[in-house]
Amino acid sequence: MEVLSYARRVQRRRDDPTEGDDDAALARRIAAAHPGIDGAAEAALCRRLAPRVRLYGLRHLRDAHAAADLMQQVLMMTLERLRSGAIRDPEQIVSFVFGTSRQLVVHLRRGLARRDRLLQTYADDVPAVDPSHAPALDHARLRDCLERLAERDRSVLVLSFYEERPARSVGDELGLTEANVRVIRHRALQRLRDCVEAGAR
Amino acid sequence: MSRTPCTAPVPFAALLDYWLGDLDAAREEAIERHLFGCGECCADLERIAELAGGIRALLRRGEIAAAVTPAFVEALRDSGLRLREYGVPCNGSVHCTVAPDDDLLVARLQAPLAGVERLDLVTFEPGEEAPQRLTDIPFSAATGEVVLVPRVDRIRALGESTATMRLVAVEGGGERVLGEYRFLHTP
Repeated sequence: MEVLSYARRVQRRRDDPTEGDDDAALARRIAAAHPGIDGAAEAALCRRLAPRVRLYGLRHLRDAHAAADLMQQVLMMTLERLRSGAIRDPEQIVSFVFGTSRQLVVHLRRGLARRDRLLQTYADDVPAVDPSHAPALDHARLRDCLERLAERDRSVLVLSFYEERPARSVGDELGLTEANVRVIRHRALQRLRDCVEAGAR
Repeated sequence: MSRTPCTAPVPFAALLDYWLGDLDAAREEAIERHLFGCGECCADLERIAELAGGIRALLRRGEIAAAVTPAFVEALRDSGLRLREYGVPCNGSVHCTVAPDDDLLVARLQAPLAGVERLDLVTFEPGEEAPQRLTDIPFSAATGEVVLVPRVDRIRALGESTATMRLVAVEGGGERVLGEYRFLHTP
């Protein structure tokens, strides 16, 4: 098992020369390339950061387009600052990205995004990134798996996820305690995930 | 950092609580800091987000049947969906259909729900030989109705037909029929 895992890592490293670099190493490479551009390091860093920023945006903005905007802006700012040497300690790249995401979410909420100006200036410089880690979800399979859930479990999932509502709000409507909703929700989503993944194998 | 295995993975339940806003600010920030530096946990969260998006998409297409609440029906309407609703009195019937531009159907079954602890729904569907029993469906006694969102794709496939639903209160060792509801469907 360990040999197989090692072989896969070696193969990945052959396929992707940045595979062995952590986030900070990639950030150092980008900064060190100034005034040139290390395209491979930039693409690798964007591939890693994009899903994280996008998910953060989805969680706080609850809007796929706004999350995609956030991702684009954060990646642009990150590359811009790394290239210009404005991030003095590339070891702190994750903190920088987190902090920037937080600030930009506030701006996006207030409608004060720097989007247009950044897009005009840097859009062509940002490598194209597919932020999704996972393969596309099989909706037919998901539908079948949802049907296999108990009625109460399915209702809790539907009420929770349609508008991404916390447990207390769902519980108030269904006459359940907050703790009860969390237990049902957790158990139901695990069953759903296991069922969907079993179908994908 | 991102390519080494995560040594302190965020539990699935905590990721789910985080996604739905059930954590206090300090715990939420701790998880976010971890997620920004961890591709592995981020992929787990991506899976939750993907399932959530799938549930939303299926519901909007009328491909999930569920017992919901009156407030949730309003939320569906507020989100721009076109709903066709049928309120059915206890032991009553209703003529019903589904139009091409309907997104969802809503059935509101009126019933004396005060004091009911567990509620089952027995359905007699057209073309089905045996009834189907759905146990322990959620309801709110205060509203005096059970709100159901059926699968629209299945109803669109029906010809002229009648479906019957029966609400059964389960209490102690026995059960009690609360009401029966007939849906007289025409395409």
